[in-house]
Amino acid sequence: MSDAHDHDHDHDHDEDGYGKDEVHAHIGSYKQYGAVFMALLAFTLLTVAVASVHLGNANLAVAVIIASLKAALVCTFFMHLKDDNKFNSLILIAAVTFIGVFFALTLNDVSYREKLDTQSGNRIYLESGDKAPGSWDNPIKKEEKKEGEAAPQASTSASAAPSASHAP
Amino acid sequence: MTTEATADHDEHGEHGGDPEHPHADHPKWLQHHWDTPAQQFDAAKLGMWAFLGQELLFFSGLFVAYAIYRTWFGEAFAAGSHELNRTMGAANTCVLLFSSLTAALGVRSSQLGKKNETTIWIVLTIGCAFAFLVVKYFEYQAKFHHGLLPGTFFGTPRDMLTFEPLVGAHSPAAELPNHTNVFFSLYFIMTGLHALHVIIGIGIWIWILKRNLRGDFSKRYFTPVDITALYWHLVDLVWIYLFPMMYLIDYVPPGHRG
Amino acid sequence: MAAITTDQHGHGGHGDPNVDYLHVSKGIWSWIYTLDHKRIGILYLVSVITFFIVAGLAALLVRIELFTPGRTIVDPDTYNRLFTLHGVVMVFLFIIPAIPASLGNFVLPMMLGAKDVAFPRLNLLSYYIYLLGSCFAIYSLISGAVDTGWTFYTPYSTTTNGAVIAMVLGAFIAGFSSILTGVNFITTIHKLRAPGLTWSRLPLFLWAIYATSILQVLATPVLAITLLLLMLERTFGIGIFDPHKGGDPVLFQHFFWFYSHPAVYIMILPGMGIINELISTFSHRKIMGYRAVFISSLALALFSFLVWAHHMFTSGMSEYANMVFSALTFLVAIPSGVKVFNWTGTLYKASIWAASPMLYALAFLFQFCIGGLTGLFLGMLATDIHLHDTYFVVAHFHYVMVGSTVFAFWGGLHYWWPKITGKMYDEGTAKKVFWIVFVGYNGVFLPQFVLGSRGMPRRYYDYLPQFEFLHKVSTMFSWVLAVGLFWMLFMFIQSLRNGKKAPRNPWNSAGYEWGTPTPPPLENFTSPPTFTRGPYDYHLATDAEIAED
Repeated sequence: MSDAHDHDHDHDHDEDGYGKDEVHAHIGSYKQYGAVFMALLAFTLLTVAVASVHLGNANLAVAVIIASLKAALVCTFFMHLKDDNKFNSLILIAAVTFIGVFFALTLNDVSYREKLDTQSGNRIYLESGDKAPGSWDNPIKKEEKKEGEAAPQASTSASAAPSASHAP
Repeated sequence: MTTEATADHDEHGEHGGDPEHPHADHPKWLQHHWDTPAQQFDAAKLGMWAFLGQELLFFSGLFVAYAIYRTWFGEAFAAGSHELNRTMGAANTCVLLFSSLTAALGVRSSQLGKKNETTIWIVLTIGCAFAFLVVKYFEYQAKFHHGLLPGTFFGTPRDMLTFEPLVGAHSPAAELPNHTNVFFSLYFIMTGLHALHVIIGIGIWIWILKRNLRGDFSKRYFTPVDITALYWHLVDLVWIYLFPMMYLIDYVPPGHRG
Repeated sequence: MAAITTDQHGHGGHGDPNVDYLHVSKGIWSWIYTLDHKRIGILYLVSVITFFIVAGLAALLVRIELFTPGRTIVDPDTYNRLFTLHGVVMVFLFIIPAIPASLGNFVLPMMLGAKDVAFPRLNLLSYYIYLLGSCFAIYSLISGAVDTGWTFYTPYSTTTNGAVIAMVLGAFIAGFSSILTGVNFITTIHKLRAPGLTWSRLPLFLWAIYATSILQVLATPVLAITLLLLMLERTFGIGIFDPHKGGDPVLFQHFFWFYSHPAVYIMILPGMGIINELISTFSHRKIMGYRAVFISSLALALFSFLVWAHHMFTSGMSEYANMVFSALTFLVAIPSGVKVFNWTGTLYKASIWAASPMLYALAFLFQFCIGGLTGLFLGMLATDIHLHDTYFVVAHFHYVMVGSTVFAFWGGLHYWWPKITGKMYDEGTAKKVFWIVFVGYNGVFLPQFVLGSRGMPRRYYDYLPQFEFLHKVSTMFSWVLAVGLFWMLFMFIQSLRNGKKAPRNPWNSAGYEWGTPTPPPLENFTSPPTFTRGPYDYHLATDAEIAED
């Protein structure tokens, strides 16, 4: 915890008697704020340095982790979450959690498209290409399936399936 | 965002009428539905954090779109990222981090009742914000001149101020992989929305500066400075994520590029 | 001087308990610049009722068109614009603000023992932002309107003609009103509870408002970014949702429903909150399982973030995601079930007073069960494949949005009418109106379940002859409903003109808000209250508190 606590010493004997209801601000020191700033700069340098090392998909993960460390420093010290009412931290955590849910479930959908054949009535076993119970009579064999080609759809819904969107 | 101070003078004769002891009943910055300054301050902070929570969710949609399209069009995103000026991006990151520092120090000096020091920190913060925007201006201008624009405008070099196509200018768009236009769409929307928040932040800081100079703040009442700084830190936080995601995709240092 | 309007000069000032809030200051500017949460609540009430009438008339026209297959009164393009108008105005300009911003604004500080909300100026700003949003929506209506449906799915919404941007901008702006109201209410509930009002004594209506406010703050911004992206796509062709440019239209649906599913809980939670108050008061009893009810409110808010893509089962999402969302949707039904159980348990062997507000609460129970249970048919992947985009969905959501939320709104309006206006309405008329509305409403929507399960698609202008009979039934009952609602409006206007003066506590309620004078003075309480019992503790309340005056 910071060494320079400039508490408002008046609050015990304020002449108007409001003392104990005054705002209690925890006042950080120049040293503390300066140190946090240097750490932020260091992390920024680190981010740029790591970005030039080819780690494939891990590059994004590392970048996000370092950014999150920077964000944590800003929130804890610059934004005073360390000294604040715990509920304020809970608001931040809740927001981040729901953002996480948004990411996780949307990416879940996006990454699993086309892993299973999504057309109702055209159910196949992916490995063998054989039709599964309840499918139409024309199973699509895996080796015959052209990229981006979709079988005729009976759906009347307004949105198009994305399978055509990756065609060059 | 909310403000705490009310009119310059107390209109109600029967409340706190003695100017020598303005806090006999309620100081003028303490609104009437609050019992104590601590209650009002805590409420302002809580309200501001709730507002910041929604700002985070506001930007989150764009980050989700980014994640999806980067997964699908990795090469295009890397190529688009290479077209960005990393030095300017890194410089802007440092500028914003520094402005976060000056904002935090401004809050600190306001908490100590030091009006003049607060003024200095606020001016520095505003200065950094302007510097950020200037760098952004030059970055955007380079994109316009190379035709690296969002959506249907991708591929035609244009003048930034008149939006007229530039005759004779060459755009690298044709050599870039398919779907690089999606990268630039996201780039402009995300950095543009962020820049809009910077502009709004400048406006609010100028107003806080004016109030500080007017003497509205004290050791007992510095809430508006505190919550403006919270907003400003959020602006910094968004950029902390934007910088590596936009500028540092598949970074190849100079000298190693094939 | 937050709680005072600008023409205050000391007399009848903020301490005077003898003048009620309606008479403490006069003139149009005292309303336009008011910072009093009660007046702001009334401003919202007038606005939402106006938009309800506009969107309701559109619905009547839609139903008239559906009286016969083929053209009845309008052509297909106009029909599309009419149902879109109905949806957009009802969702964004009526139902989302209705309970929280009108009744909630009025009652929240009183239920806390507070003088006003945490940020009165923000409250007024929220109202004007809402009005600004509605101006854009109205502009859209008169300059060509929109034919996309209230869900604005891409790529149709990015390519169709019509005033899409104005309408979307209106919803975008109105969203900020919702967010700021949420910020205000969360802060108020945390910081302005009177002494003795611990969290475990918080009225359940306020727990519901609290949960709603969390949703308003955290979910609405995602709608904002979605609509912004839609506007940019339409204007600049950025390609995020356009398959020709590598975009994904299903992504729009993810974005849209990430907000819009929590939005439906923004709609229902305050309604459930009102039902708590009505059932407790008119059973003269504490709600069974207070803790279960407030925990289920919070759980509903939390879980509502997890299930959005159950609106997208047939959109082309991956099967895996379909399964995940279907499973999560079953989870979200549990808290609702807990509440129904607790309400029913409260009624069991209670001394029930079937006054007009209570009739709406009882109808809520019946209709919410139907709405909630039919939601399970839609949450189940296998059945939803067949029911999606049919009238079954239309009937389901009208049962939860209208049959539940709007009935709760009417119940709350009847309940708090004396407190708001200081006048009683005619109880005999109110009961007759209730039955007409109840019969009319159920007559419109019950047949639609059958229509949907037999294959009638939604948003269709024309339909096969086998559906004609049920469409006719539904349309004719819509006229019954309309008569009931116009009579209700008339009844309330009559109450304002020559209603009996209301006693302080006409319903003999133990609720905190009934401890104030009726109508209340500007700062709600004659002196700052301290609470020593819960709001449903009829066994602890004194006779004086529960007496009519």
